[in-house]
Amino acid sequence: MPDTSSVSYPSRRAILSMIGAGAAVAIDPRSLNAQSGEPVLIGVCGPLTGQYAQYGAQWKKGFDLALDEINASGGIKGRPLKYVFEDSQSDPRQTVSIARKFVADDKIVVEVGDFSSAASMAASPIYQAASMVQFGFTNSHPKFTQGGDFIWSNAVNQADEMPLLADFMKDLGLKKVAALYINSDWGRTAKDILAEAIKKRGGEMVGAEGYLADEKDFRSAIVRVRDFNPDGIALISYYPDGAQITRQIKNAGLTLPLVAGGSVYSPKFIELGGDSVNGVLTTVPFFPDDPRPVVQAFVKGFKAKFGEEPDAYNGRAYDTIILLAAVMRQSGTGRADIKEGLGKISGVPSVVYGTVKFDPETRRVANPVTSRIKVENGKWVAWTK
Amino acid sequence: MTSSFGPWLDYTINGLVVGNIYALLAVGLALIYGVSHLINFAHGSIYMVGAYVGWLSITRLGTPLPVTLLCVVVACGLLGVLIERVALRPLRNAPRIAPLLSTIGVGVVLDQLVQLTFTADPRGVPSQVPDWRIQIGGGTIGALDLLIGAIGLASALLLFLFLRFTKLGWAVRATALDRDAAQQCGVDVGRVSSTVFAIAAALGGVSGLLVGMYYNNIDPNMGYHAGLKGIVAQMIGGMGNVPGAIAGSIILGLIESYGIAIFGTSYRNLFAFLAMILILVLKPDGIFARGRGQAQEPLTGTFIAPSAPVRLPWSVIGAAVVIAAAFPLFVKSGYILQTLGIAWLYAVLAISLTLVAGTAGQISLGHAGLLAIGAYASALLVQKMGMPVALGVPLAGVLTALIGTLLVYPAFRLRGHYVTIATLGIGEIVTLVILNWDRVTQGPIGLSGIPPLSAFGVKATSGGWIYEISLVLLLLLAGFQYRLQRSHLGRTMRAMRDDDVAARSYGVALDRYKGLAFSVAGFSAGVAGAILAHVYSYINHETFTSQVSLMALTMVILGGLGNISGGVLGAILLVGLPEVFRFAQEYRMLIYGLALLLLIRFRPQGLLGTE
Repeated sequence: MPDTSSVSYPSRRAILSMIGAGAAVAIDPRSLNAQSGEPVLIGVCGPLTGQYAQYGAQWKKGFDLALDEINASGGIKGRPLKYVFEDSQSDPRQTVSIARKFVADDKIVVEVGDFSSAASMAASPIYQAASMVQFGFTNSHPKFTQGGDFIWSNAVNQADEMPLLADFMKDLGLKKVAALYINSDWGRTAKDILAEAIKKRGGEMVGAEGYLADEKDFRSAIVRVRDFNPDGIALISYYPDGAQITRQIKNAGLTLPLVAGGSVYSPKFIELGGDSVNGVLTTVPFFPDDPRPVVQAFVKGFKAKFGEEPDAYNGRAYDTIILLAAVMRQSGTGRADIKEGLGKISGVPSVVYGTVKFDPETRRVANPVTSRIKVENGKWVAWTK
Repeated sequence: MTSSFGPWLDYTINGLVVGNIYALLAVGLALIYGVSHLINFAHGSIYMVGAYVGWLSITRLGTPLPVTLLCVVVACGLLGVLIERVALRPLRNAPRIAPLLSTIGVGVVLDQLVQLTFTADPRGVPSQVPDWRIQIGGGTIGALDLLIGAIGLASALLLFLFLRFTKLGWAVRATALDRDAAQQCGVDVGRVSSTVFAIAAALGGVSGLLVGMYYNNIDPNMGYHAGLKGIVAQMIGGMGNVPGAIAGSIILGLIESYGIAIFGTSYRNLFAFLAMILILVLKPDGIFARGRGQAQEPLTGTFIAPSAPVRLPWSVIGAAVVIAAAFPLFVKSGYILQTLGIAWLYAVLAISLTLVAGTAGQISLGHAGLLAIGAYASALLVQKMGMPVALGVPLAGVLTALIGTLLVYPAFRLRGHYVTIATLGIGEIVTLVILNWDRVTQGPIGLSGIPPLSAFGVKATSGGWIYEISLVLLLLLAGFQYRLQRSHLGRTMRAMRDDDVAARSYGVALDRYKGLAFSVAGFSAGVAGAILAHVYSYINHETFTSQVSLMALTMVILGGLGNISGGVLGAILLVGLPEVFRFAQEYRMLIYGLALLLLIRFRPQGLLGTE
């Protein structure tokens, strides 16, 4: 566990105060590299092994980049910000144990994760009872934040995202839409909200097919979708299955317009989908060509550190740490301070939202920014009419 | 766009194409089963390794297709030989259940090694086959479909010729029929075993590569579900029957495709597993078995070999119980108490399974289904009908005993590995019904806000409470089961396990005793599942997956089949070890897999021996 020894802490402070004395007041604390002092720890509970391991690895990159920036600009009031990542395999049996471990560890001030709802929500009662914030940044399950007033999320709410997708489809002139969705809590919720939103805009969801996360063959599902005779297909998928479905739709000879939920956004979508994904449309809260300075700074930093383009999960992970650091800088690092601070914070720049402000009732963030994008010649580009 | 045959032609072609892909895996599994009567759970992992070898060779060395295939065949063939040497040959005289566990361990180690080396990110495998497609009906088939079909058929044909006309092939068949007699006639059975594993692994690797190219997507966890489908396919065709495995795969592909056509995409696997159970019940030897002359599995004394169990003296057990009960007085860490509390609940699951698998000889791979039934039953009784938790939990146990026994009833006439696969299917069916039965289970959205454990208005939410409640439950159920296993009922069950023909001839009604075993086991597992639901507060179809069933069986085999203390020990180890290895971060599951392999290598009869 990252920990500076209790011996070096006072002595360093002693030396600092000896050489600094009165002059120390004049030094901007932000210019100091945040290497001194007891670190402030965030407990991360997520998958590093098992079937969701790739998502845990993506989180780490976003976290690491955010920590570099925060600690280079003074950390949390001079203390470095760090995280402890416990592998849960997104298995509820392990998340409850990890939750007990985190709440008993006084150094950990807030928890982040887990990935799947089954794993995250099993641990919620423990965080709630211990008055420690559980911050789920991928948890769009509509009931997640109802676990208690210490359960918060900045995951994009499907009730926000899906109507934007419906708007997009309306602008494209798609009236009859068939959906292919991943049959999980997330995919199912998104599909239901999308169907409602399309209806409100005068269209209709003429059919919907739910598939399991581990399926790779979609040929027969595509025949069903084809026989609904839709004007276009809505795709509610992660990027690996989304790429797979798109390939198989093209191989089946279907040329219908494909509009996907923002979760397919990843450079990997193009790598795995090849030529087939050209023409796929989506709306995303985060897009690297977005000219907003916060996005450009993130993309530049990410490419410099990892030598690759960031994707949606990298962006969300980065956003989360920046947000929590802002809360800690403003309201303090006590567990209760963080809960209070989340309710009060506003104006934190974000790659996913313009700026972040929580609704203290729902403990969620509303109104993500959105860009309409498409794949063209093997690249994600902004969509123009 | 649609042809005159309507969409049915499309569904048929799609079924054939997918079946074609399953066939490559099923052939290798059938070959190994035919020779060593072993369901190779590492086969999916070898398939994954084959895909990665191919990907490396294409992207790093730029090899053309024939060279790529050769690389995969050589690498995976060697891997097969290595697995046979290291993980299976030392167990050749061990009970037949030990190699099964060993293959599970090998699978974990391979998956983890590949993930650590290449990360968990999915990769694209560039296709090396020309990209032309033929239009048939409303769909198309491509060059790769034809190549996969050709390789499947060619390998089956080559295998047939090899087994029929070569000297080594004769040796393989002789070993399959009677290992000892073959050895006595001078067959080098070790070499035969190596050869078979090399061939099967090479086939598995090639199928991984081709499927990776087909979907342009490989990842370190791709093997598990592919392996399951392969097992189901060869079951349909008849265990150990190579041509049957190809036909079984095609049939599975068609069943799935028609299932989607009739019921919708989310019913695909439900339909496939129901069909498998139906076939098992109607034609337990596979639909291609000739008559009823299928070789009986040589169960007597080999499948579950009795060994001298380590009888823990009462003083030791008593001391352990006192220490366990007093533990929370000295250890205040919520983390340790919660982990051990969960371990006690898994121990309940393990002793429940050890009664069915060890004492009654019905090796079940669907035990997580019982947990799920208990969890949903209690959650619904409490949430929807306003029942107090203290009443909902035991009632959930009763319901699980009833529903679980009814579900397994069709499998009562099966034996040996067939029971294992049938129960695997039943476990999957439970999960898939939960996913699709929206009105009751809320499908993938799951049940949230399940009230915590409580009695007389006192909420038991702390780690200490969960520890104590689970421990008391475990002690009560273990005590009851000890009495049961020691009574004439337990003796009759063991008789049925050791020789069902002899037991029947002495007037034992097998179905009743199996029913009794599954009812008691269902009650225990149901109560454990119910408590887990109240501890977790949220459950959905992903809470109790087939991985949990596999883990329960691992606990039971590791501890010693039919051995109650063994089950408890197995649960403590399997829940505890991954926590103990947390310091190793990403490496912890690899260490866990290696520990599993070592334990089974040196204590194949289980740590405390089979009772």
